Amino acid sequence: MKFENRVPAEGINSSSENPLIELGWLLAGSLGVIVALVIGVSLAAQWIAPRIPYRYEAKLAATLPSFATAPNTESARRVRSELQELADRLAARLEMPEGMVVRVGYRDDRTVNAFATIGGQTVFFRGLLTKLENENVLAMVMAHELAHLKYRHVSAALGRGVAVAVILSVVSAELGRNAAGGVLGQAGVATLLSFNREQERAADEAALRALYAEYGHVGGAIDLFDVFARLPNQQRDPNVPAVEFLRTHPLTANRIAAIKQWAVENDAAIDGPRRPLPPGIAALRKP
Amino acid sequence: MLDLIEFGLFVTLLIVGFFAGTIVEKRHYASIRKREREYADVLAFAVRFPPDRVTPQRAFLVHGTVVISSDYFKTFVAGLRNLFGGRLRTYETLMERARREALLRLKHDARRQGAKLVVCVRFETTTISTGYAASIEVFAFGTALIPERTADSKEERDAALAFAARSVPA
Repeated sequence: MKFENRVPAEGINSSSENPLIELGWLLAGSLGVIVALVIGVSLAAQWIAPRIPYRYEAKLAATLPSFATAPNTESARRVRSELQELADRLAARLEMPEGMVVRVGYRDDRTVNAFATIGGQTVFFRGLLTKLENENVLAMVMAHELAHLKYRHVSAALGRGVAVAVILSVVSAELGRNAAGGVLGQAGVATLLSFNREQERAADEAALRALYAEYGHVGGAIDLFDVFARLPNQQRDPNVPAVEFLRTHPLTANRIAAIKQWAVENDAAIDGPRRPLPPGIAALRKP
Repeated sequence: MLDLIEFGLFVTLLIVGFFAGTIVEKRHYASIRKREREYADVLAFAVRFPPDRVTPQRAFLVHGTVVISSDYFKTFVAGLRNLFGGRLRTYETLMERARREALLRLKHDARRQGAKLVVCVRFETTTISTGYAASIEVFAFGTALIPERTADSKEERDAALAFAARSVPA
């Protein structure tokens, strides 16, 4: 038997492949998994959340700061109670979910916006109210926001947001904390809640039904689009307040067409007498 | 903003880890290959007993040990690899270098003490850091043999050794 020492063989126990190629594949793979997971979980959460009985959402909302607190000035308190009165009337027409108490918040802020949020709450900004000329058009905005609550779109969006935050927190604690804070925090609720086109269409339709039942015509919906058409283009002029409502409720030609279509199909009058704004809200329009 | 800084730091570490790690690895491999040729005349085997016709006069323990660390890049790639499974390529080169280096140091030890034959070579591995960057120690040890002086001349001793084992220099 002969013993010999040979130079170690190369390339058997280690690979000469560029590690960057491996990194590329691994990164693509793991990001793909995360994206798939986020999409899957958010769709599932979006489906499940509206099916959870409303009383659980009410319980969660009770732990968060309220949006519908009484404002501190006399005129603002008056505006809020007028909005609340209108909301109650429309809610009766909309057949809200069992146990949902609609509460309206009012913000003395020039932002042109209104939004629906957790716990049956809607918030109106002064900026939007000053742009509206009669009660019918205000009712269209209000009914649209209430319809988002009726269909539990807010719960769906919240469920989606929280589910995504949970996934992200598994990937990165910091990222997840930020996302969860954004969804449940005061500031985040308004901006992070976005509804898809299908949800907007459903909300529009319910709002039209409520509008028709309340006033006997859907003129308010048509007026609303006139109001938006007259709004200055904020991209051209940075001094005008942000038109948040348009950003979260994109005004497409389809949407206007769908409203007219609905009116034709349901034999609803498109025009009719407008009701004046309640005095407190009308006073906001005076310079 | 803080997130951005954190991310930037991470990418910087990754880039530094990659370039520094690649240069270090290349140099280490070059040094290993060069010394493997230099130490080709020191024979090391895993057999438990001396080869036939080698009657040892003296036997003693020789060893070589090396501590080697992963870099940020290698560890990150290995961490991702842990999700999917498969060959940890970035660690394979690390371990290979450590084993070859430990064997070379063992041969250095043997030659320093006048031995050109080491049998019963064994390897041990110890993890010394399980933190973010893994570091390991590889320890090679064996029994160095110096053949008997019955064949008095150096030539005869070398002949007996050469008979038992033939080295193949690169």
